[in-house]
Amino acid sequence: MRRASAWKPMDVLLRAALALALLSAASVRAADIKIATVAPDGSHWMEQMRGGADEIKMRTGSRVTLKFYPGGVMGNDAQVLRKIRVGQLQGGAFTAGGLAERYNALNLYGIPLLFRSLDEVDAVRAKLDPKLIAGLEQAGFVSFGFTEGGFANLLSNEPIRSIDQMKRKKVWVPEGDQISFLAMEAMGLSPVVLPVTDVLTGLQTGLIEMTFASPVAALVLQWQTRVKFRTDLPVSYSYGIFAIEKGAFNTLTPDDQKVVREVMTRVMGGLDHTARDDNKRAAEVLASSGVQTVSVNAADVEGWRRTVEGLYPQIRERPDVDKPMFDELSAVLADYRKSHP
Amino acid sequence: MRDLRVRLALRFAAFVVCAVWLAGCANLIGSRASATLSAAILDQDDPLLVESGLPAYLLLIDGLIKRHPDNAPLLSAGAQMFALYGSRFADKQHAIALTTKARRYGERAICAEYEPACHWPGIGYDDLVAQLAKVDSKKLDSLFSYGVSWLANLNATSEDWAAVGDLPWVEAVLERGLALDEDYQNGAIHGYLGILNSLRPPALGGKPEVARAHFERAIELSQGRDLSIKVEYARRYARLMFDQELHDRLLNEVLAAPAEAPGYTLFNVLAKQEAETLLATSKEYF
Repeated sequence: MRRASAWKPMDVLLRAALALALLSAASVRAADIKIATVAPDGSHWMEQMRGGADEIKMRTGSRVTLKFYPGGVMGNDAQVLRKIRVGQLQGGAFTAGGLAERYNALNLYGIPLLFRSLDEVDAVRAKLDPKLIAGLEQAGFVSFGFTEGGFANLLSNEPIRSIDQMKRKKVWVPEGDQISFLAMEAMGLSPVVLPVTDVLTGLQTGLIEMTFASPVAALVLQWQTRVKFRTDLPVSYSYGIFAIEKGAFNTLTPDDQKVVREVMTRVMGGLDHTARDDNKRAAEVLASSGVQTVSVNAADVEGWRRTVEGLYPQIRERPDVDKPMFDELSAVLADYRKSHP
Repeated sequence: MRDLRVRLALRFAAFVVCAVWLAGCANLIGSRASATLSAAILDQDDPLLVESGLPAYLLLIDGLIKRHPDNAPLLSAGAQMFALYGSRFADKQHAIALTTKARRYGERAICAEYEPACHWPGIGYDDLVAQLAKVDSKKLDSLFSYGVSWLANLNATSEDWAAVGDLPWVEAVLERGLALDEDYQNGAIHGYLGILNSLRPPALGGKPEVARAHFERAIELSQGRDLSIKVEYARRYARLMFDQELHDRLLNEVLAAPAEAPGYTLFNVLAKQEAETLLATSKEYF
């Protein structure tokens, strides 16, 4: 009896300890990773992401659940980053510019007139994407690959075929995009900073006369109702990043991390590849909606490039530019151009 | 596919079919036949029966349009019936074919009544808006059929970027319809504009508050009898804005309401089925 009564409290303690251990193990393992995105529910992007999430849930025995907040309900990139900081969210689908606040090398691909073709993009991305992903991870975000948004083209109400036709035109520049602002100014344009959602009204009221976007983005934003011409020149390259905050990712077991990496890398790779066909089709739709495609004469394109390239030393010195990565990118591009004259 | 509400003026469609079909024997059957038939479809509480019965009417209306190729009411009826069947009862591939036919009938209907509309396919946005301003209320039936059949076709082909590109044009058509008669079909146009305005999140230029106002007005004008409006309000707006309270409240109201309502029973039965599905996934979504 004495023994029994002596053991009883121990028994209770042990059980309690065991229960607590199980509880904490369960709370670590059953990770609910909350992810924000502006992609609307039902879009191709969301369908692919949900497909990936289902596979992860199944393969991790429901220990890892990705929960999505689509349609921009969690706000813009900056707001999502704030919510990640306070632990309300664990990840998000960002624009490169949006996440550059945490790792500024992500801005580099978007330098105006940097790339001349998608072949150049492929050559650079094959070499630099892994480095950018590694750099981003050091900066606190685990990413599984980038998804192409494509080249933005100039969209305007007057045809733009030469540098003269652009002089002093009021052009939209996204909030916070200092590099584009500089480049537009250097090309003789008058940049006007607006939130993307005000561009349509800006075009309507004459606050801006020109804007730029990929064909897909132009259609989604319904800019085809307010512009008449699309200048078929790759102005700047855009891409998106799906990333999970490293601290949250590290709470997963190594095996679960492996599953998440494998599945999401595959999903992002698939989305990356669909963008080109999407933009091609969207460009056709823009044309059939009455937006005429115009080309710039080759001499003017060269002139623009020289103007913007003349800014590179200034861009390189900016505090928001990653100098070593900028130099590496320049070297990769130069190599590519040498072997593909 | 089935999630875009294409609630159609079957009463009108059935009336036209009957009126033309029965023209030769009107004395025998009388004008009450059309009302009886339309009521039989709209007040039907068995969607399966309608699904299996409607194709006969599609064949019939096809034949009638062949005989009367410029008859606007007949073309309107064709547009709406094909859009209904294509959007509610057909599989994905068949839906594209059926709603494409619906859209062509819709184009021909408005063209038969308003010559400039014959040149609308491929028209620029500003030109369309300018010409729409000249469409009067006498042509509203055709304009509505044109807009709704186009919308049904865009929904069936939503994987193509052309569908995204066309949305502002369809919205302009429906906006004109609304300006001509807000109360048309007990607020149906408000319902469609609610859907259109909740397709895009605010970050991509969407106007959910405009959508909300349209849905609220559609409920008011239909006196709450059209349950499919509440289902779309929940599915589109409440999910877009992550408003679970509104979502669940609307759907529970749909489940608690009687399906039987003259002119709405068929769609209300379908709405209740959808409400159950949406409620079942509410916890997972929010």
